[in-house]
Amino acid sequence: MAQGSSQSSRRLHTARGALRIVFFIGVVALGSIGWARADVPLGVLIPSSGKGAAYGQQQQAAIDMFMEKYADLGKAGKLKLVIYDTRGENTDAINLTRKLIGSDQVVAIVGPEFSGEAEVSFPLAARGDTMMVTPMAAKPGIAAANRPWAFRFALTSENDYGPLIDAWVKHQSKPIKKVVILMDAKDGVSSADGKSVFPAVLKKHGIQVLDTISFETGDIDYSAQVTRAKSLAPDGIVVSALYNEAGHVTAEIRKQGMTQPIVAGIGVNDPRFIAIAGSAAEGVMAASDFFAKNPAPNVAAWSADFEKRNGKSPSNAAALMYDTLYLMRGCIMETGVDGKKLQSDRVKLRDCWTNMKNKDAPLTGKTSINKDGDAERTPVVLVVKGGGFVPLQ
Amino acid sequence: MLSQQLINGLMLGSTYALVAIGYSLIFGVLRLLHFAHGEVFMVGAFVGVELVLWMHVGPFIALIGGLVGAAALGMLLELVAFRPIRKRRGSFLAPIVSSIGAGLVLQELMTKLFGAEQIGFPAQFAATAYHFGIVTVSGAQIFIMSIAFVTMAALHLFITYTRYGMAMRATSESLEVASILGIDVDKVILLTFGIASALAGIAGVLVGINFNAISPFMGIDMTTKGLAVMLIGGLGSIYGAMAGGLLLGLAEVLSVAYLASSYRDAFAFGLMILILLWRPRGLFSAGVAFES
Repeated sequence: MAQGSSQSSRRLHTARGALRIVFFIGVVALGSIGWARADVPLGVLIPSSGKGAAYGQQQQAAIDMFMEKYADLGKAGKLKLVIYDTRGENTDAINLTRKLIGSDQVVAIVGPEFSGEAEVSFPLAARGDTMMVTPMAAKPGIAAANRPWAFRFALTSENDYGPLIDAWVKHQSKPIKKVVILMDAKDGVSSADGKSVFPAVLKKHGIQVLDTISFETGDIDYSAQVTRAKSLAPDGIVVSALYNEAGHVTAEIRKQGMTQPIVAGIGVNDPRFIAIAGSAAEGVMAASDFFAKNPAPNVAAWSADFEKRNGKSPSNAAALMYDTLYLMRGCIMETGVDGKKLQSDRVKLRDCWTNMKNKDAPLTGKTSINKDGDAERTPVVLVVKGGGFVPLQ
Repeated sequence: MLSQQLINGLMLGSTYALVAIGYSLIFGVLRLLHFAHGEVFMVGAFVGVELVLWMHVGPFIALIGGLVGAAALGMLLELVAFRPIRKRRGSFLAPIVSSIGAGLVLQELMTKLFGAEQIGFPAQFAATAYHFGIVTVSGAQIFIMSIAFVTMAALHLFITYTRYGMAMRATSESLEVASILGIDVDKVILLTFGIASALAGIAGVLVGINFNAISPFMGIDMTTKGLAVMLIGGLGSIYGAMAGGLLLGLAEVLSVAYLASSYRDAFAFGLMILILLWRPRGLFSAGVAFES
């Protein structure tokens, strides 16, 4: 009799304990749902340190300006950015993408910056059923290889260089029949541009490539490469590299007395290029989605605001990040994403981007996404004049 | 083009030579491979550029600043990273590992202080170019080559004709015997580190002035190339280091000029392997084998 009553009282204790645990779990679950209702998490990957840190710093400045104005999503709550620094390293890009998709459970990812990083992290997006849009990576074919979850907001280099070479050739007093390409063999987009994109565009214009001479990211001595280019006596020079290497090689080109016109790839679209090359940068032509001195009212206002806050003029990287976030926010609000149902939120955003046609972005104008996941817009051809990039007249 | 490339090669080579001489000095006296020597070179460059950016001094003062800063760092490394290990008679690998660690710490420290991107001297340091026929040399390059050769000549005179120089040579022959003969071996080692690091500091400022690309990671390449030069020239031989440095600079530049430029480093190190296969003790070996 005593045993029976102790057994039943033990069962009562166990039942009460179980109820308490269930109650506790319930409260935590409701609490977290309540928290999730307030924030829509969006992943962002930028290179704040290491290679290309200047791009990352520009993007961070643009992110800060964006969040001040646009963090509120109306009834969906607030936008919460989960920002990680890839340091320009492919391995970091992979690990951080996994983290954003798996443990941070973001609805989408903006980034990464470099074509090399994008190439290795886009397949993770496809496997993780989460869309990724890179604001800046421009090597052709990356998004196309990872449909339907991969997108690119920057103009791919092959769409940039057609109008650029057109303008470059027309703008010279002497005809350009043969060129030398100086490229960074270690950087993804620069080497793809130097090996295939630029040669294809140049061939269409009947220009012969005498030689493709390479150096590597982080090199300090370009004298041998430039002397070799000089000995070939080209009519023009093509520089395909990021702002740091492009700046140094351009300085070396002028230092060795070469006066041929220089056209450069998209890597130079940063004021650091001009800072490093100094007066050697004068006359260099490049094509860009954005330029700071654009007189259009919203661009001019934004550029002035950026300069006031950061003490330097905005680069392509900053503008592209800002506009990518803007369009992403637009998609979040249009499709009713609220961070509550992760899988369907992710699909909604992917579809919104897939079907994007002539959406207005404040700094880069009307953007459409084509079937390859790449952006389409008209680039502007720029030339370095008086220490800054100005549109070619 | 060949004459221009030869000038480019001598330019590059003289900076390699200055760094490699430091390696050889330290190896000759201590039988130690100083893997943080490239970072000492890097710190010298930073001291030079920061002096110019903050106090607006000229290139000579920047050079002296880099020299002094690097020498101080080198002596500090000897006191902190090597002497304690030597006194406790650890394995012969322990000082080498300690130097690798010291190098990494210096890289990270400089990255934290100055950021990872390359910085440079202000634009007015960019020299005027002088044209001698088909060859173009900049004022900075003339400055660099003359400083490099003057430094090497001064070192030769110091080693050969001064008492401290003789003490260094005695210590490099045998630490124990030199100590018995009354030479203050600890002081000589400290002096060796100081001189070797000063040379690296000079090289750092010269490289900074000429290439304008100073970053916390510029020492890594110099470490490997400096070691290669020391091996090519002969372990412990400073004249071998001078010759080896010039040879490597020329080999690199000529490989870019006449072969594929993307194989620059592969070619330079391939050359090193060939030379070592032919003469394992290096071109000018001072008869010093790698002893433990």
